[in-house]
This record gives sequence, structure tokens and C-alpha cells, in this order.
Amino acid sequence: MRTVLFASLRTHTRRYVAALVAVTIAVAFVVVIDALGSGARNAIAASVESAYPEADLIVGEEFGLAESDPVRVLEVAAQRGDEASVIATAWTRVDGPDGTLGDDVEVGTVATDPGLRSTNVVTGRGPIADDQALVSRETAASAGIELGDRLTVGTGQATRTVTVVGLTERSSYLSPDVHLTWPALSALDSEIVDSVAYAVREGSVAEAREALTEVVESQVQLRDDYVSARIVSMNKGVDVLGYLLLLFAAIAGFVAVLVIANTFTILFAQRTRDFALLRCVGATRRQVLRSVRVESVALALVAATTGVVGGLLASRALGVLARALAGSDSFGDIDHSPGWLGAAFVGGVVTTVVAAWLPTRAVVRVSPLAALRPAQEPSARTTAGRVRLALGLLGAAAGLAALVLAHRTETVPLMLAGGMVSFVGVLLLGPVIVPALLRLVGATAGRFSGPVRVASANAVRNPRRSAATTASLLVGVTLATAVLTGMASGRQSVEAEMNAEYPVDLALSGTSQVSPTTVAKVRGLDGVAAVLTPPGTRVETDGPTLTVVAPSDAERERTLDASVTRVGDDEIVFPASYVASFEEEGVPDRVTVRTAAGPLTLTVRTVFASWGSAAVVSPETLDRLTPAGTTRVLWVMADDGADAQDLAGTLGAVAGGADLEVTDNLEDQQWVSLQLDVLVWSVLGLLGVGVAIALVGIANTVGLSILERSREHALLRALGLTRKGLRHTLAAEGMLLALVAAVLGTALGTLYAWFGVVTVVQSAFPAAALVVPWAQLAAVLVVAALAGLASCVLPARRAARIMPAAGLTLD
Amino acid sequence: MTSTSTPSLLPGTSRTLAASVRGLSKTYGDGDTAVHALRSVDLDLAPGRFTAVMGPSGSGKSTLMHCMAGLDRPTEGSVTIAGVDLTTLDDDRLTHFRRDHLGFVFQAFNLLPMLTARQNILLPFELTGRRMEDGTAERIEQVIDVLGLRDRLDHRPGELSGGQQQRVAIARALAADADVVFADEPTGNLDSTASAEVLAFLRRSVAEFGHTVVMVTHEMDAAAYADDVVVLADGGIREHLVAPSRARVAQALEGGAR
Repeated sequence: MRTVLFASLRTHTRRYVAALVAVTIAVAFVVVIDALGSGARNAIAASVESAYPEADLIVGEEFGLAESDPVRVLEVAAQRGDEASVIATAWTRVDGPDGTLGDDVEVGTVATDPGLRSTNVVTGRGPIADDQALVSRETAASAGIELGDRLTVGTGQATRTVTVVGLTERSSYLSPDVHLTWPALSALDSEIVDSVAYAVREGSVAEAREALTEVVESQVQLRDDYVSARIVSMNKGVDVLGYLLLLFAAIAGFVAVLVIANTFTILFAQRTRDFALLRCVGATRRQVLRSVRVESVALALVAATTGVVGGLLASRALGVLARALAGSDSFGDIDHSPGWLGAAFVGGVVTTVVAAWLPTRAVVRVSPLAALRPAQEPSARTTAGRVRLALGLLGAAAGLAALVLAHRTETVPLMLAGGMVSFVGVLLLGPVIVPALLRLVGATAGRFSGPVRVASANAVRNPRRSAATTASLLVGVTLATAVLTGMASGRQSVEAEMNAEYPVDLALSGTSQVSPTTVAKVRGLDGVAAVLTPPGTRVETDGPTLTVVAPSDAERERTLDASVTRVGDDEIVFPASYVASFEEEGVPDRVTVRTAAGPLTLTVRTVFASWGSAAVVSPETLDRLTPAGTTRVLWVMADDGADAQDLAGTLGAVAGGADLEVTDNLEDQQWVSLQLDVLVWSVLGLLGVGVAIALVGIANTVGLSILERSREHALLRALGLTRKGLRHTLAAEGMLLALVAAVLGTALGTLYAWFGVVTVVQSAFPAAALVVPWAQLAAVLVVAALAGLASCVLPARRAARIMPAAGLTLD
Repeated sequence: MTSTSTPSLLPGTSRTLAASVRGLSKTYGDGDTAVHALRSVDLDLAPGRFTAVMGPSGSGKSTLMHCMAGLDRPTEGSVTIAGVDLTTLDDDRLTHFRRDHLGFVFQAFNLLPMLTARQNILLPFELTGRRMEDGTAERIEQVIDVLGLRDRLDHRPGELSGGQQQRVAIARALAADADVVFADEPTGNLDSTASAEVLAFLRRSVAEFGHTVVMVTHEMDAAAYADDVVVLADGGIREHLVAPSRARVAQALEGGAR
């Protein structure tokens, strides 16, 4: 049997290529996930290490430390003659010479002691004095800051002016945009202390540790202990991401199983005569079976090996790419954990062998007589076929029931289980559904072209094979559709929420009247679509003095969510930011305002929304407060696609001159939107791995079917089908398969997305509804069809090259 | 004894020749392993004749037919059918020529298994993608009736007997009104009754429709239906016999075994 085994391995190598590629991609994917994780982990380790260069002790907890601790540590250091450096960050407004850097600039500390300094100063020198600052090179470049420029840091009374004396380079995970000394930063009153680095200069480390432990509330740890604990906690995020990525690897693996099983089924069907002949000349069933199983194991070993090697190479390439894109401080050297590599290898082998197991059983059923009979068209009406269909129906029904129940009870795990079971049911029903769809699509398209008619007749010839081929692509398209539709629906709910929270894109508010020239200036800015100027006034209350505005119904309608500022005649609406103005006593239920006609008591309603520093009252109320309202607040609506930072910067420049305060809602909105985009594209990109494998499968099926049909192709060519015509026929077949998978997948994916929306999204946003992103789904269809087409180009070319006479005499 | 007849002796030479072959050679492989399937063959076939090409296995009869029918490229020489030199055509024009001027009946795999008998008969028109000319539809219906396929038109090849499949193939070749119909061992897979039936139809197509038929066969009984017999041996034409007797054909073939 060994001669037969080696001979058939040699003969059929080319036909195994697709299965090999499928396993290779899946295994390589797993290896790459580990490598990218290690790159991120190593970068974290390096950046944490370099944050505490020469420290001996670290005072700090995982989440910040007690408020009084920094001062106490500094006192101990001063007493003992040691050095200590507080590591803290504040997010505040910073203005440069050419306008604002933003409202939420990360400002951090820099150690005055060179030994404790984690920041690399690349130009200029480190700040010594409290009125000096370092700026990161990236920030300086984007804001046009040079050495010697003056920056205004902070808001209100905590504002201070500093001179830029040096530029820094990112080196540790603590890499703020602007660095100040600790005294300067703590004066901003908004700092968050991370930890305190402590370098012992006098006496022993143990003595210093003891002295510190006595006075501080937080933990005092040896530097190395602290650093390793910190690395472990920061790696948790990376690890979670790694496991999430493994989910996609599992999907890719599942698709690979479908492709491999299909490849083996087709290969064994083509070799039925060989097996029968072996049985004729005296091979036992067991011998034949063992021979094909050894074949599958050999394939598995080769594929897993190429997968691991391919993964190692891809990791190197991606590592270089990631460092180039993200910088070496956020992506370090990659390394591979032996356990993970081993698991990827074993997983690849097991996947292949398991996928080949069912098809190999068919080999046993071959009777020696089959060698003597002419090849027969396979039929789906076998016992196994009926069992399969029954199981499929059962799975689809049970899964659907589970989905409905999950919707009723809002149980997410049940929904996931129902989705998986029903999907497996649909896959099992494939031999019935897919040919029916192929006939439908083929009949429609075939009306216009003879070759397409031949192609659709070919595609439905072997229902099981067509179903198995489309199954792999179906997985990818269904998931992609579900993700796109689910995200579109979720996004709409999030956006509705955002619109209520941010009824205007930006607001400029002041305490005195805003001059018409300022309004005109703002209207003329790039990126400004509209400026609303609701009339308002300044009123004395029994508490603080308030700016009130009274937008007309027409003005409210032009905001993103008019319902937020709807107000009754006896009401006054506060934005969320007002809660801070009533810090001590809390927001009162009522306020009494003084008017010309005596005091007026209004019911207070606080809305979790942001529209600048002004309370909203009804126009009728405003009439009672003042005879003539004036402009106090500008509500700015930005153009679609306007850059939030640019707009905030230019508005900030205008506002600074007119003594107005800028409220920037746009940046938050754009940030959330960006996060959603990143999420969708990441998921689609990761699903792409599975889809790539599925396309290899389609190319393979079409390729193998073409081998079987070379006589028919020769006949078609003899009867007058041109090379191009034959290529078109074969391409149409691949495209039909892909299109049917895409249509079915889109329908299923939308259904699953609907269940997802009603089960998951509606529990967070009761008003959520299914939003079908038609354009994106159309793109999925087109991409799938084109990919199906592309995957058939090579096999079709090969088939068309052969001379008709050669095809007719082929055995 | 080599009494090769010249074309001028053939009946009906006043008309253009149906097919003309000059210096046709086909070599597979090269160097020591080269196999010369055809060695500089000259052959002229008159229109409206049923010619059988005979010879032992390996004599080159299938290769000759493949080259004449534009299914394969000769190594050297020319093939002229209906006034067109096939060896000068590129693949697309050659394909179109086959579609418009030639008909085929093969030993097996004559029909596409997923199409019905009618769809198979109409396949050449389907591939052309153009509407049938006036009279074509009537001719096809006539051919279907002559071949007795009327009640089998909606069956797939798997549901037809070997003889019926072969009749469908003949119907396809005749439906297109080909200048030359090439038949490659059309009775190779059939029992004697079905063989006789198929050969009778080929004969009738020559007599009644005026087709030119070239049939490769190794069966004496099949050759008996033909007007002329071309005997090949070792890649060359040994004899071209016009309306020979059975004994004359047998003698020519034995000459090949000599």
C-alpha cells in the first residue's frame, strides 16, 4: 500500500493545494495574533521600564494614590537628602502663540532630577524652573511651536504662562504633550497623580522604604516589583484583545474545515475508480481507508508546517509595518511563545484530519464493481441525504425558536446559541436551498446569455458540492452582513443619544452681549454651516447670576435634537455643566429670578446635554425678564465633514478676542463616530481572513470540477465555443456560486442583525430599530461576486488553453 | 501494390472540393521520443460523399480527423474546407469556422449531461447567440422526425440509450447544416442493431440532405455504408478507394497488416 500512498500523494499534490492554502492561512493567522500581541506587550514593558529609569522605590497603587501622599513623599525625600519625582497628568486647555492646542491637552510632569527623568529631551534642555515647559516633538510640529514660545496652560484662575525650553521624544507610556514641573502642574488643580518615583541617595533603600511606609497611605514597593506588577496589569488589555482575535481565528478555522472537507469529498469522488480498482486487485477496505487517512495526515502536517512558517514570516513583515505606522514606542520587538506556536501547529493538524474524516468514510463504501461501471452522476437522494436534511430542518427550527425566546427574555447567550444552531441548520439544508437559488439566479441571468445558461446548469449538477462550496463563503458574508447591519442600527441609536446630549456642534457663550461683528466673523469661518443666536439676557437669582436664552421654536428645530431644549413657561432648563455651579448646595428645585415686575419663581429642570453656559427659558419668560433680548450665546452648526480640531481652533481665536467661552461638542461626536468606524473596519478586516479562505475554496471547487469536465469542455469547443466563451462560462459559474452565497448570506445576516438589535441594542436604547445599510450590503454583494469571478480566472484560463482534440482523447 | 486513386478520378469533381489536405504532418514530442502520427498526407474529398477512414490502431486516423476538423493543429501542411485554409486561422476564427461549417459525432461524450436532448441539438445555435435563419427551425423539426427523436426531446442524456444519444448527436450535426460532418467511431459503443440504425441515418443524410460525411471507423460493417474508403497505415494514406467492394476494402486493410 505504501507504493500506492506515495504515488497518489505525488500525483494529487496539485489538487491538494487549496486545502493546503486554507489550513496555512488559518494557522498563520493564529501565529500572527500571538506575534502582534507580543509586540504590543514588549512595547508596554519597555515603556513602563523606561518611565522609572533610576528609581529605587515607587509609591503608588494600580489606580492612582492618596491625595496627600505626594507632599509627604517629597517631605521625606527632602529630610533624608533623597530625590523624588511625582508622576502626574492633567487634561486641560493649552493655548499657543498660533491659537489653541485644544481643551483636553495631556499635560504631565517632568522630573527635575536628571536621574529620575524618563523624558528624552531632543532639542533644548529640560525645564528647571516652574515657569518653563517641554513640548513633545509631534505636538510642537502640528501646532507650530518653537523654542522660546509662550504657552498659556489651564483655565480660569489656575491659568499660568510658561516658556517652551525643550522638545521631547516619546519614550515611555507616560508621554504627555506638554511637560511641566510638579509644582507648576499641581497648581492647575486638576492633576491626577499616578505614582511617585523615589531615588535613594543617602543610606539604604530599606531605611528609606521604612520611612516612607510610615507616612504615606499608598503602597511603597521596590521599583522592579512595581514595574512588573504594572506590566501585568497593562497587559490584561492586550490579552483580552488576543482572545477576541482568536474568535476570528476560530471563524477562519471553521471556514477552513468546510474548504478541506469539500476538497477531500471532491478528490475522493474523482478517485472512486482508483479505489475500486485497488479493491479489485485485492486491497482490503481497511487498507484503502488507512491509505487515504495517512494521506490526510501527511497533508495536515505539511499544511500546519507551512502555516507556522508563513505565520512567522508574516509576523516579521507585520511587525516592521506596525513599527513604521505606530512608532516603536507603541509596538516593540515581536517574539513567539512556544506554547502558542505548538497550539497553532496542533490545531492545524487536528482541524485538517477532522475535516478529512467524514469524506474518507465515503471511500469505504466503494465496491470493487465501481471500477467496471462508467462514472455516475451522484445523487442527493441517499439515506444520508435525508438524515442530513432532517437534521438541517431541526437545527433551523430549533435555532429560530431559541432566537425568538432570546428576544422575549433578552438573553444574549441564548441568542448566540440560537444563531449558531440555526446557521448550522441552514448549512445542512444547503443542498436543497443553494441549487434552488442557483436556478433562480441562473434563470434570470441566463435569459440574456447562452454561456450563463450552461454555467447555471453546470452549477446545479451536484447539489452537495455547490452547497459545500457556497457554505464557506456564506459564513463570511453572513457575519459581515450581521456586523454591518448591527453596527448601523447601533450607530443610529448612539447618534440619536449623541444628538440629544450635544444639540449643537459648538457653542460660544459670554457674560455680556455678543457684538454683531463677532457673530458675522463666526458666520464667515470655514466649516461653519449655520450660527443660531437665540435672544437672551443676564439675570440675578437668589443664587448665582445666570445667562438665560430663549430660542424660538424655529431656532430649536435647527438644533440636532429640538426636544432637549423644549421648555414650559414656568420652567428653566439647565445644561449638565451647571451642576458644577451649584457645587455646595446642589441644584435647587426652583430658582427665583428678579424681574422688573417683581420676583418670578421657575421650576428647574437639568438636562444631560451641553449647549454652552446658558440656561434656557421660553420666549414668554424672557419677555418678562427683559424688554429686549440680546445675543449672549452663539450656537454653531458645523458643515458635514468639518475638521473638529480646526474649527475649535479658529473659533477659539475669535472667542479669545471677544471674551467668549468655547464649548466643543463636535470633537466628542467625531471621536465616537471614529471609534465606531474603527470597530466596524477592524471586524470586517478580521472576517476578511475567513472570506479569503472561502474564495480559495471556490477556486478549488471550480478548478476540480473543470478537471472532471474536460471532455465536456472539449465538446463545447468542438461545437464552436471560443476560448473566451469557455472562460466566460466557467467564470459565470464561479460568479453564480459566489452571488448565491452572498444573497443568502445577506438575507441571513440581516435576520441575525435584527435579532441582535431587538435583543441586545434595545435593552440599552429602547427606541432602537433595525437600520439596513443598503449601500454597504450592495458593496458586500458586489465584492463577493467579483471575488467569485476572480477566483475562477486561473482555472478557467487553464481549461480554455487545451486544444479540443486533446480534451476529447483525455481519459 | 499501391493503387492510390487521384482526386480527378472521383465523381463530381466539377464542383469545389469539400475538403482538401496537403502535406499534412503531425508529430508529438521531439528528438528521440518524437512520434509521427501523420507523415505528409495528401487527401481530397468530394462533396456529397460518405467517406470512411479506416486503418489499424495507431495508423493516425483519429489524428487525421482531428486535424481536418480543426480540433488540433497539424505540425505541417494545410487543410482547406469550403475554400478556407484552416491552418491560417487563429483560435477564435477557427472556432467560429467549426461552429458555422462543421458537424461532429463522437464515440462517446457527445452530449452535455446537464442539458436535455433538445437543448443539446440546439447547442450550436445557443453558442452562436444569434437567431436562427428562416427555414432552419423547419429543417431541425424535420431532422428530429427523421431521426425519431420527437418523444425523447425533454430527456437528459442519462435517460437515453446509447443509440438514442448517438442519434441526438447526429441531429445536432445535421441541424446546423454543416458543410462536412465528422464522425469519430460513432458506433464504437453501440450494439449491432443501434449501429445499423445510426449508420443508416448517416447514409440517409448524405443521400437526402446532400451532406458530406467523414467517418473514422475500424469496423468493416460500418465502412460498408460509406461511398468511399480511405485506408491509413503508419501515418500515411495507403489507398483511397472509390465505391469499393467489401473484398477490396478487406484486401487493402490486410495490406496494412502485411
